[in-house]
Amino acid sequence: MESTFSAPGADGVFMKLRDIYRSWGYARYRMGKFEEYDLYAKNRSFITGSSILTFTDTDGRLMALKPDVTLSVIKNTSPAGSLQKLYYCESVYRAADAFSGFSEIQQAGLECLGNLDLYNMAEVVSLAAMSLGAISGRFVLDLAHLGLIGGFLEDAGVPEEAREEFTRLAEEKNSHEAAALSEKLNLPAETARVFQELIHLRAPLEEGVRKLSALPLGPSAASALSELARLAIALRGVEGIWLDLSLRADPRYYNGVVMRGFIPGVPTAVLSGGRYDGLVRRLGRDAGAMGFAIYLNLLDRLLPEGREFDADLLILDDGSDPSALLKKVRALTASGVTVRVDFAAPEGMRFRRTARFTGGELRE
Amino acid sequence: MSDMLNIALPKGRLGDKVYALFEKAGFGCPEVLEGGRKLIFESPDTGVRYFFVKPSDVAIYVERGAADVGVAGKDILLEYTPDVYELLDLGLGKCRMCVCGRPGLRDDQRRTLRVATKFSKIARDYYARLGRSVDLIHLNGSIELAPLLGLSDVIVDIVETGATLRENGLEVQGEVCPISARLIANKVSYKFNYPAVTALAARVREICEDAK
Repeated sequence: MESTFSAPGADGVFMKLRDIYRSWGYARYRMGKFEEYDLYAKNRSFITGSSILTFTDTDGRLMALKPDVTLSVIKNTSPAGSLQKLYYCESVYRAADAFSGFSEIQQAGLECLGNLDLYNMAEVVSLAAMSLGAISGRFVLDLAHLGLIGGFLEDAGVPEEAREEFTRLAEEKNSHEAAALSEKLNLPAETARVFQELIHLRAPLEEGVRKLSALPLGPSAASALSELARLAIALRGVEGIWLDLSLRADPRYYNGVVMRGFIPGVPTAVLSGGRYDGLVRRLGRDAGAMGFAIYLNLLDRLLPEGREFDADLLILDDGSDPSALLKKVRALTASGVTVRVDFAAPEGMRFRRTARFTGGELRE
Repeated sequence: MSDMLNIALPKGRLGDKVYALFEKAGFGCPEVLEGGRKLIFESPDTGVRYFFVKPSDVAIYVERGAADVGVAGKDILLEYTPDVYELLDLGLGKCRMCVCGRPGLRDDQRRTLRVATKFSKIARDYYARLGRSVDLIHLNGSIELAPLLGLSDVIVDIVETGATLRENGLEVQGEVCPISARLIANKVSYKFNYPAVTALAARVREICEDAK
C-alpha cells in the first residue's frame, strides 16, 4: 500500500482552503478511519471504480477503511432544520484499478446539506472556484447540468438503451460515432445536429447559457437550462467557470449541476463535485446536498523538481567535542543555516558546503 | 514544454501516414523527415512538437498529459478505455476486429468457448453482449497459432487483408467492430489549449474530408 498522505504541498494548500471555508461559516468535519462495510456495499457505484479495504472487527462485523468522505458525512449528520455546512481534510483508502495497489489519498472538500436554494448552490460553486484559485493562479471550473443531455435525449425520444451510449459519446466529445449512432437509430437530422452542438459546446458560463438558449430544446432540457441560467446570473463576477456538457456523473446519485476543476500541470480533474440529492435520498434522508472534493495527492505534481541541496552545510564530526559541536550547530541553525552532522558523507545527499569539526574547531 | 502543442504519434507505417496528414494540414515539422535517432521533433514555426511511441502507448502519453493530443487505433481505445476526448476519426489504418477460427467450426453452445486474444477487454465485452460464456486466453503475439494447436476454439484479433489468416488455414467468422485511427486529446490540455487543439482538429478534419 502506497502512502501519499505526506505529499509535500498538500498541507499548505489545506491551510489556505481551511481559511476560505471557515470565513464562509463552514465547520470542520472529522471522521474516524473505519466504517461498517455495509454502507459502501449498498452504494458501491458511488465510489467510482475502486476496491475497498475490508477487515473483520473483534465483534465479527465486516468493517472498511473509509474509501470516501461524503457517505460518512451524510450518514453521521442530521440536516433537519438548518443547513449543515461542513468542510474536511481526511485520508481515504482506495485501489483505483485492478493493477494499482491500495493508496492512502488525502482529500479536502466541503458539503452543504439541507433545504438548498439558489444562493446555496451559487455559494458552493463559488467556493469551488475559490479553492482552485487558492491552488493555482490559472484554473478552469467546468460546470454542466445532467438534465441537459439527459433531458435532450428524453425529449428527442431516443430509446432508453441508447441514451447511455449517447451520454458516453458526449463524455468523449466523440461526434463521429454520435453521428453514426444517430444514423443507425434513424434520428431526425435536426436532433443529430443539436446533439453535436451540445457535446462540442464549451464557453464561459453565461455565454454558454446564451448559446444553449438559441438551440431548439424540449421541455426537460429547457427546464434544466432554466436552472442553469439562474445559477449563471447568481455567479456573475466569479471568474474561471465554463460550461461543458461532456461532464458525466451517475444519475442515481447526482442530479442537476455537476462540476470538475482543473489546473495546468495536473492531467486529470483535481476537483469533482455537484448536486447529489439522489445519494442523500438513498440513505433515507429527505434533504438536498451539494459539495465537492479536492484530491490533494495530485498536487505534488505542481512542486518544483527536486531540491538542489539537502542542507546548506555538512559537518563531518570526529567525535572529539560533542558539547562544542552542539553549541556550534545551535548557533548555525539559529542564524538560518541548515546543517547535518554525520561521521561520513551520507550517500545520495547533496550539501552546499562541507566542513570538518575537529579539535573543537569547524574547518571548511 | 508548455508553449508548443505536444503530439504523440504511433511508430511505423500508420505514424508515417498520420504525419503526412498533419503536414498537409499545416502542422509540418521538417526534422521528422530527416530520420536519425532523435526521439522528439520540434517545429517552432508551426508550434508543434512530435514524438513517436509504441502504438499501444500513445493513449497513455495523452491520458497522463505528456502529450496534448495523439493518434491511437480504436482497438487501443476500446481495450484500455483511457479517459481522453476522441475528437476525430482519421479514416486511416482501417481494419476490423474479428472472430476467426478454422473453417467449418461449429460453436457448440453446451461448451464454454475458448477464445485466444491480445484484446481481452474487447473480447470479454463482445461475448458478454452475446451472453456467451467464454474462457479467455490472453496471448501477447502469434494469436493465429492458438486454434491451430488446439489452445483455443477461436481468436479475436485485428484483420486487415486476411492474408495471414488464409495462409494459416483460418477464416473470419464474425466482425466485432471496425477499427481506424482516432485523434485523441488530453482533457486538461483541451481546456487550457482550447484554441490550439480545436484549430488542429478542425484543420485535420478538413483535410480528411477533402480526401474522401
